[in-house]
Amino acid sequence: MNFSELGQRFRKNIQTYIIIIALVAIWGVFAIITKGGYFMPQNISNLFRQMTVTGFLAVGMVLVMVTGGIDLSVGKLAGFVSVIAALFQRDVWFKLIPNEPILSAVLTVFVSMLVGTLFGMYQAYVTAYLRVPAFIVTLGGMFILNGGILLATGGQTIAANQPGFSYIAQGYLKPTIGWILGIVVVAFLILLMFANRRTKRKYGFELKPFYQDMLRTAFFSLLVLVYVAVVNKYNGVQVPVLLLAITAIIVSYISTNTRFGRYAYAIGGNREAARLSGINIKKQLFLVFTLMGLLSGIGGVVLASYVGYGTIAAGQGYELDAIASCVLGGTSTLGGSGTIFGALVGALIMASLNTGLQMMNVAPAWQYVLRGLVLVVAVIVDVYFKKSSN
Amino acid sequence: MDENVILDIQHVTKAFPGVVALNDVSFQVHRGEIHGLCGENGAGKSTLMKILSGVYPHDTYEGDIFYNGELLKLEGSAIHKAAEKGIAIVYQELTLVPGMTVGENIFLGKEPVQRGSINWDHVYSETQKILNEYHLDVHPQDVVKNLGVGKMQMTEIAKALSENAKILILDEPTSALSEAEVTQLMEILGTLKEHGVTCIYITHKLEEFFRITDSVTVLRDGKVVTTQPTKSLTSEKLVQYMVGREMKERFPKGNRLPGDVIFEVDDIFAEDPDKGNEVLKGVSFNLRKGEILGIAGLMGSGRTELVMTIFGEYGKITKGSMKLYGQEIKIENGNSAMKHGISLVPEDRKRHGLILIQSILKNISLPNLDRFASFLRIDQDAELAESLKFAKELAIKTPSLLVPAESLSGGNQQKVVISKWLMSGPKILIMDDPTRGIDVGAKFEIYKLMNELAEKGISIIMISSDLQEVLGMSDRIMVMCHGSSNGTLEIAEATQERIMTLATGIA
Repeated sequence: MNFSELGQRFRKNIQTYIIIIALVAIWGVFAIITKGGYFMPQNISNLFRQMTVTGFLAVGMVLVMVTGGIDLSVGKLAGFVSVIAALFQRDVWFKLIPNEPILSAVLTVFVSMLVGTLFGMYQAYVTAYLRVPAFIVTLGGMFILNGGILLATGGQTIAANQPGFSYIAQGYLKPTIGWILGIVVVAFLILLMFANRRTKRKYGFELKPFYQDMLRTAFFSLLVLVYVAVVNKYNGVQVPVLLLAITAIIVSYISTNTRFGRYAYAIGGNREAARLSGINIKKQLFLVFTLMGLLSGIGGVVLASYVGYGTIAAGQGYELDAIASCVLGGTSTLGGSGTIFGALVGALIMASLNTGLQMMNVAPAWQYVLRGLVLVVAVIVDVYFKKSSN
Repeated sequence: MDENVILDIQHVTKAFPGVVALNDVSFQVHRGEIHGLCGENGAGKSTLMKILSGVYPHDTYEGDIFYNGELLKLEGSAIHKAAEKGIAIVYQELTLVPGMTVGENIFLGKEPVQRGSINWDHVYSETQKILNEYHLDVHPQDVVKNLGVGKMQMTEIAKALSENAKILILDEPTSALSEAEVTQLMEILGTLKEHGVTCIYITHKLEEFFRITDSVTVLRDGKVVTTQPTKSLTSEKLVQYMVGREMKERFPKGNRLPGDVIFEVDDIFAEDPDKGNEVLKGVSFNLRKGEILGIAGLMGSGRTELVMTIFGEYGKITKGSMKLYGQEIKIENGNSAMKHGISLVPEDRKRHGLILIQSILKNISLPNLDRFASFLRIDQDAELAESLKFAKELAIKTPSLLVPAESLSGGNQQKVVISKWLMSGPKILIMDDPTRGIDVGAKFEIYKLMNELAEKGISIIMISSDLQEVLGMSDRIMVMCHGSSNGTLEIAEATQERIMTLATGIA
């Protein structure tokens, strides 16, 4: 291996990890400015809890963007669902089953997911089968949902703070359960590493040195355990973060291990080649946008539970946060590439900026300016590294 | 220096990695004449035109070109300089902005500006002047997308003339025109000649040389075969000049005995799905088991449209039928074609065959995932094992199946595309120009592979622009002309002359 090759390898890797480096850098800067206050368990716990709603939307948005589409309606859809959830809590379940907080919460979740999915299906149908560009369909959807929110709330704020329902976004796991979860995840990571190495060896692929894989696994395991330790110092592992993690793992699995996921990447990578490979493009696009609706529905539930209210401003601007998260996380705006993991780190960056700037008492106006700049700079850096690695 | 010579090409050689596109080419074009340029696909015509128009700058080829007695040196961003000097090309693919008017297109990039805003009166009056002068039948304010191909071409010509073109290069201008439009174009070219504009005219339709040109240069394998006054030529002679060469050992000999007819196409008609004009006008042929059927024909003869129609990914079949094993079949899309055991290796591997950013593995398995996948899971072990098998069988040269397809050479990319379709286990494999743009060694490997497949009983339909390839590989050759099948030749009776005769429609 000569030096230019080494340089190239370095650049390739830095491109993969640049987002993580950026996150660490942002944390470092805030830690210094706040004299360590940024790393207080309470702040870390809130930070992760804050990113969950955007996180759900970003998870779905990755797949939408991977197919080469966009969904501008997700923020308002989550907002609309949160209002519907609040309404059902207050006006329906409270009257029918006043003493069943858990059952009513479950029913609310079900209704919310249904509403999200149905709206997703409507947009999916118009996009995929009537061939209206996703940008237009979802822009229209955004307006429609905005009206829907006003109609449903009548301009008022609706409480959604019943005990069972609140647990979804405000609950914490007991420290022991948190530790058990952490250890299960670590065990899983180790198993995964060995399974991966076994497959690679079996088919004669280039194996990374054992210590490299080991270091990587150790690094992520440590991250998980440190996280559990920190949040346990506050209230424990946050329920919404756990839900987001489970959702992300499932969707991530779907995106890499099922036909549905493969086809989404294929369509975004080269639509014509995908079509000639016998893929039913309309059906696949329909499914992707429907899944986006479902995830917006889940996002809406968490939003209602997190805020404790359904309000007319619910979900305002979340779609932009979700798109920014995906782009920060390396999802191509042209389609064809992007990962769930990246998008979540992107969402974490957005949330980190938010909390950090708030702690520093930066005026909201300047918070917007800074977040906008970070997004653009991140993409400039990405473009630069992509160009130089070619 | 002869005053009458506007363009003097001397000993021009242009080599690409693995192929010499132009080999010591010399000829002269006289002022004010219409000079035909003739040759098979791949003879070097396009390369020569690209040199003249500055796409390949001066320092990328050997030899000299004199223009009006001066050495023509196009450098750097040479494309613009060629136009400034008065050399203009009317491309096969029209280069107009569809949403703009004729006038806007003609003045695109050189709009007359008066006090900061565009002087539209000037644009349209100047446009009208040019159109009148050359009897071009378009209106300056027509929007280009509403025009027919013929009028678009006129606009394109007007655009070149507005830049004071002294030499106009027309690259297959009639391939998309109707007969009436062709006649009109011929009249325009006559007017241009009266105005002293020199034309270089490239076409595959031999009769047009006799209708319009004053002299013809024939290229073959990158060399000039002859330059002659058109009067001294006949179409038979022209065909001989184009193809007259010996067959070398470029093709491995197969050892196969085609079986019974398994697939029949009976007089099918089909329309362009976007434009709605009839593209296939009566195509019939049959295909035997374990046979390689070559489809020859010039560009624009409907070859690609035919195979895409069979594969279900082009226009609807408006008339005629297809039978597989004696049963009539209807193919709705690529997926149903695959279910019938018909696979297609498309013409343009980068646009239609591969997802360049994805790994070789994912590319190979993409159309075949149903086999490895349940609803919940793709069996990635099986996927990998099966893909590896094909990668080995086809000897794809790559460090790993996990590298992106874009990192491979053209020949290896083509093997990936073939693997992908072989894995689907086809009975009929359609290959649209399978060796286009790949080097000689890789071509030979693909030929060998085709022979092996045919010996295993797979029937292959191969489109090729290379006559020698068609002759070297096929058991039978179906020749297409203007959207219909113009005859099928047994290999024993097929010669290049006969194929060209059928393909150009002079017989």
